[in-house]
Amino acid sequence: MTARLPHRAITPGSTPQRFPGFDVLAEADAWDPVTAGVVLARVGPQPPLRFFSPAQEAVARPLFDLILDQHQEPRVPVFEMVDQRLAELATDGWHYGDLPADPQAWTLSLGALDQDAHQQCADGFASCPLEDQESLLRAFLDLGDDTWHGMRADRVWSLWSRYACTAFYSHPWAWNEIGFPGPAYPRGYKNPGVNAREPFEVEDRRAAHRDPA
Amino acid sequence: MRTLFRDGSADRVRSRNESAWLLPAGQGRANEELRATMRTFEDRDDVDAVIVGCGAGGATMAQRLARAGWRVAALDAGPFWDPERDWVSDEAGSHHLYWTEPRVITGSDPVPLGSNNSGRGVGGSMVHYAGYTPRFHPSDFETHTRDGVGADWPIGYPDLKPFYEAIEGELPVSGQDWPWGDPHRYPHTPHPVSGNGQMFQRGADRLGIVTRVGPVAITNGRFGHRQHCIYRGFCLQGCKVNAKASPLITHIPDALAHGAEIRPDSMVTSVEVDPRTGRATGVRYVRHGVERFQRAAHVIVAGYSIETPRLLLHSTSRRFPDGLANDFDLVGRYLMVQGAPQTGGRFADEVRMYKAPPPEVSSEEFYETDPAAPYKRGFSIQTVSPLPITWSEHFAGQGIWGPELRERMRDYVHWACLGALCEFLPLPDNRVTLADETDRHGMPVAEFSYSQCDNDRALMKAAQQVMEQILQAAGAEHVTTFHRYAHLVGGARMGTDEHTGVVDRDCRSFAVPNLLITDGSVLPTQGAANPALTIMSVAARAADRLIHHSTSTPPAHPTVWREHVRDSR
Ligand SMILES: Cc1cc2nc3c(=O)[nH]c(=O)nc-3n(C[C@H](O)[C@H](O)[C@H](O)COP(=O)(O)OP(=O)(O)OC[C@H]3O[C@@H](n4cnc5c(N)ncnc54)[C@H](O)[C@@H]3O)c2cc1C
Ligand code: SF4
Repeated sequence: MTARLPHRAITPGSTPQRFPGFDVLAEADAWDPVTAGVVLARVGPQPPLRFFSPAQEAVARPLFDLILDQHQEPRVPVFEMVDQRLAELATDGWHYGDLPADPQAWTLSLGALDQDAHQQCADGFASCPLEDQESLLRAFLDLGDDTWHGMRADRVWSLWSRYACTAFYSHPWAWNEIGFPGPAYPRGYKNPGVNAREPFEVEDRRAAHRDPA
Repeated sequence: MRTLFRDGSADRVRSRNESAWLLPAGQGRANEELRATMRTFEDRDDVDAVIVGCGAGGATMAQRLARAGWRVAALDAGPFWDPERDWVSDEAGSHHLYWTEPRVITGSDPVPLGSNNSGRGVGGSMVHYAGYTPRFHPSDFETHTRDGVGADWPIGYPDLKPFYEAIEGELPVSGQDWPWGDPHRYPHTPHPVSGNGQMFQRGADRLGIVTRVGPVAITNGRFGHRQHCIYRGFCLQGCKVNAKASPLITHIPDALAHGAEIRPDSMVTSVEVDPRTGRATGVRYVRHGVERFQRAAHVIVAGYSIETPRLLLHSTSRRFPDGLANDFDLVGRYLMVQGAPQTGGRFADEVRMYKAPPPEVSSEEFYETDPAAPYKRGFSIQTVSPLPITWSEHFAGQGIWGPELRERMRDYVHWACLGALCEFLPLPDNRVTLADETDRHGMPVAEFSYSQCDNDRALMKAAQQVMEQILQAAGAEHVTTFHRYAHLVGGARMGTDEHTGVVDRDCRSFAVPNLLITDGSVLPTQGAANPALTIMSVAARAADRLIHHSTSTPPAHPTVWREHVRDSR
């Protein structure tokens, strides 16, 4: 099965590999079929868009790109994955008392972000240069738990970032980037412990790397 | 393999609960035949007990009552899982395990629910719990007397101790000898420790903080037909191996073999009461879109701390206009979560915390009230090993995004992570009420309001400090703490009388003699321990009392069913 997958060891945006050659999908033969079905679906074609309107799409796509720093192909299809979740009401169920349920909260908050953007760019968020999009997001985050268009900014951020992270870090390309092997049944792990690796795990080539904090 | 069994050998467990031997020995994880030949009741049959919810409390009850010859129908809103077919070794793909029906969260410190708190389906939240199974300490049962906070239980630790021992044998629990609370041993020896546990041990050793491996409800070695853990780290996604205990494999099989019916996909919407006798008559429920009514001599509610109060509040009648058993406005109140901050430490070494069950090593050094501290009660510390999605959400929750988020995540294999459980106090206004919003059954959804008190906040701070010190002592280059909550208990607590509790010491409601509640909602306090073992033990005790000390008609149905099932196996 894996031999037929066209690209090997893909990372989002083809970032330089901290785990050279590490390819989660190369091990897909070792996964149980139920898990393989669920995970491989993420690298296959996405279902048609159903939830977001084109106007919302124009705001959501660049917003996800910003949150996840995805500015070039290959992209994890975060926007498509979130659209699917919302269309299927695969939400976490709960919502804050001062926010509506997730689908409506998405609609409201994307509209609000676009409204903010219009003060800087005539055609809204989608037309803003990257720096402006960044500063809009920063200004929004600086609000902390203050109110933003009638909603608590931190709760809107929680909504956006939870959906974004769930989509991105469920994708095998993102796992390639972070050295996480993904599904582990029925194989399991035989070498736990500090600096211990399985034959299919790759050592972090961390030398080039510096503390972002 | 060493001789593993101490308290109650495997044979002794088998003689009182055969579940592990009823599972398939080879391929497959669910005993198809036992399910296919399951006894079934008609709605009009007056079963001895109908149980609402097949989780920790409900399933334990079902197994105990069925073994005693009771005719039991146990209903659950969710599916009857087959671990092989229905669960995946994947974080995002496990969304269906959680209770994701609508709920509203409010208060000054609202508690996110969903994956973090409650499950749906046979096995309940233990299907995707981590697997830690510590006992409560003796002090937990009398925090009011000892510390002037919280509440005293109407039972004490000695009342529960034999049930702790019994359930520890049935799960079974693995761990080192336990020095805290009431010192005790575990039936299975401890598991080997992975990178995350090693970092915890290293840091704690350097600071002189005592740690222990365990206690986890993960078999170490074969137990019945259950397999050994393969250290794959997906405990919170449901154990496809049948190594981690949940009632689906530890109590349901034995209940089936003794003639209980497990009725999945059945959402109970109300408990009905006969206005003349004041007794419960059965439950109204929706199955496959059809509303039905199951008659029963006893109604046992075990839907957990949010759904149990919601169901009671929604079960109104002329006798109970404000909700069943809610004469004194106690239903839904004193609901607790534990403060569960997680501290990550990034190391130059590779830790790869996903390569083991997240529950490995714990410390209860800070569990009891420290007279020198400015707060009462305490916290425990345990390894937790978040998978990538949860880990990235932690960073995002700190306002980290873009290139910095990606960079932090590229360090994923270098992080170790500890979690604390802080004993938040039971407060009357932390509660479930009914919201205006309704679910797809037209039933009002739960609104769960939570606000911390000063003691809660002080504990969170203290726990954060200790965890950061431990990881720094272990050599972390960088530490950071994420604020979150875990576990739910309370909401229909036990008390000495109807002014202090919804149910009595035996989990019987004060208001309706044949209505019991046997889930996490009856706990008056929560200690700094994970609750599942205690919930199961309280349910096992309630079953014992019901069977042996029942004042209502004890059912006298012989266990013929069992022989039938044995023959057909
Ligand atoms: C991620 C996570 C990790 C955890 N880790 C640990 C841990 O390490 N150790 C520990 O001790 N605890 C842990 N817990 C908590 C533990 O799982 C619960 O405390 C325990 O399972 C609660 O038992 P219960 O019987 O009260 O409810 P549950 O086990 O939740 O069972 C309730 C059942 O009732 C059903 N139900 C509810 N309402 C209805 C209705 N109206 N009609 C029909 N059915 C209904 C539900 O579908 C569910 O199956 C964890 C929980 C989570 C979510
Ligand atoms: S780590 Fe072990 S107990 Fe946990 S899910 Fe995997 S096999 Fe089961």
